[in-house]
Amino acid sequence: MVQQGESAPLVQMTGIEKHFGGIRAVDRVSLDLHAGEVVGVLGHNGAGKSCLMRILSGAMIANEGTIRVNGEIADIQNPHQARDLGIETIYQTLALADHLNAPANLFLGRELKTKLGNLDDRKMMGEAISVLRKLNPNFKNLDDPVSRLSGGQRQVIAIARAIYFNVKILIMDEPTAALGPSETAMVADLVKKLRSTGIGILLVSHDMHDVFELCDRVVVMNKGRNVGSHGIEDVTKDDVLSLIIKGELPGDWVPRGREMVQ
Amino acid sequence: MANLEREALPLPTGFRLSTGSFHKLSALLTLVALVIAFSFGNDAFLTVNNGLTVLLQTSVIGLLGIGMTLVIITGGIDLSVGSVLALSGVVTGLAVKAGVPTAPAMALGIVAGAACGLVNGFVVTKMRITPFVATLGMMLIARGVALQLTGAAPISRLGEAFGILGNGSLFRIVEKTGGIFPKVVFPGIPYPAILLAAVAIAAAYLLNRRQIGRHIYATGSNEEAARLSGVLVDRTKIFAYTLSGALAGLAGNVLMSRLVTVQPNEGVMYELDAIAAAVIGGASLMGGVGNISGTMIGAFIIGVLRNGLNMAGVSAFIQQIVIGVIVIVAVYIDQIRNRR
Repeated sequence: MVQQGESAPLVQMTGIEKHFGGIRAVDRVSLDLHAGEVVGVLGHNGAGKSCLMRILSGAMIANEGTIRVNGEIADIQNPHQARDLGIETIYQTLALADHLNAPANLFLGRELKTKLGNLDDRKMMGEAISVLRKLNPNFKNLDDPVSRLSGGQRQVIAIARAIYFNVKILIMDEPTAALGPSETAMVADLVKKLRSTGIGILLVSHDMHDVFELCDRVVVMNKGRNVGSHGIEDVTKDDVLSLIIKGELPGDWVPRGREMVQ
Repeated sequence: MANLEREALPLPTGFRLSTGSFHKLSALLTLVALVIAFSFGNDAFLTVNNGLTVLLQTSVIGLLGIGMTLVIITGGIDLSVGSVLALSGVVTGLAVKAGVPTAPAMALGIVAGAACGLVNGFVVTKMRITPFVATLGMMLIARGVALQLTGAAPISRLGEAFGILGNGSLFRIVEKTGGIFPKVVFPGIPYPAILLAAVAIAAAYLLNRRQIGRHIYATGSNEEAARLSGVLVDRTKIFAYTLSGALAGLAGNVLMSRLVTVQPNEGVMYELDAIAAAVIGGASLMGGVGNISGTMIGAFIIGVLRNGLNMAGVSAFIQQIVIGVIVIVAVYIDQIRNRR
């Protein structure tokens, strides 16, 4: 499932540090992500997982540490540069401009233009209809400002924006927190589909069900540190909860696979 | 202008009565009602001559209002335009006095205005000072520099060429009568009005058809979202403030040219008229909302009101009161609609 050691990881974050005044939000954290792998990033609120994700997506700059993408050092200074490297993020807040309509949001920051350099709104609208309807066949009101759309529709725009443009590394920050059951199932299908095409996904989630259904591996953060990276077969929900809450595995823990042998 | 905006899909200007078009429609109706009311009050109001006078008088506020609209859409405000207008005029005047030909001297004045706007943009984005405070500072600085450079005295005798921009007109038809005063058949369209129309069309095109315009809306709508989407938010804001400064410089040159004198204390409180024009036209000080055609309607509401009230013999003090009330009513109507 996880082909380690064969090629350079898609993303390799090493020794990442971020402090705000005296507080270490991220404390020497390292994290690898391989192509076609879904890694769950777990932890309490304030454990540093969002901060770590923001560093990778360029929304925040680390004080220390290096990020390698496909083995090459990537100096990510802003979201624009991250996107150029194929790093896309679905933010929990969705990061939509409320006054603009769906196509304008979908293409925000990389608008399609005509030969004269004008905005090609007709083409953007056409593309938007096809990509949004692929995710949600009932998507309507593409002309309306997105503030008037439902939570599910807004989520669809945020997702579409992340996967439309040649994504290689996808960060999903609580992608299902605001969704109903059918939309959650849609997101789960999407994650599986993207994984099969070789995209690496970092899934920040509180939902243990999602994590165990979708992830190949979990990375748990506690008080700014990476307290464990485990293949999903090796741990139980209780093990993961223990890591999240106490920052360590239960004292009697052995990898699940080996339990049988004993 | 209207055409440009109708083509732009992402703005709420469809044929359904969206908030934006409702506001614009009510502003337009207000303007028409004002014109009708004043026409009944005074026969001289609805004449070609007076119409052209209104055009001329509105052009300065209109130019300032266009720049202001760009800044307001980004979620900012530019309080410095009145002072920058004066400083630009002073720079042009001093350049003319120093022997620079009129056209390049005026260009220099506009560049000075743009430079003030650029500083505003830097202070707002790089020093992270709120737009209100940053441009308040620039308002004092630009006025101070204008007064210091001139010793607070007007600069006059700037040559005939200096007056052309403000006083010239296109398609002026004059009939020779043989007497001292030739008969004016058609006074011509004043250059300032043509300039205003050209700038308004260019600004509407920029806002609705170009990427920078889209980014201006996005920045004002949700700055964080725009940044995370890869919009270079700082650059976008600096662009808006610089353009506002440049347009203030242009307005300053138009105004001083009309007076054929540079007045360093000209343009006091003009920023408030410009803000009023934008707000009456539907721009929201919260950012993300506003458009050029609305601001033009707003500018003309103010212009027609001033002109009409003047003709009716209403004092300038009462005029201020009336415009103040209109600003509040315009925003109130908008709020009621948005609350639903």
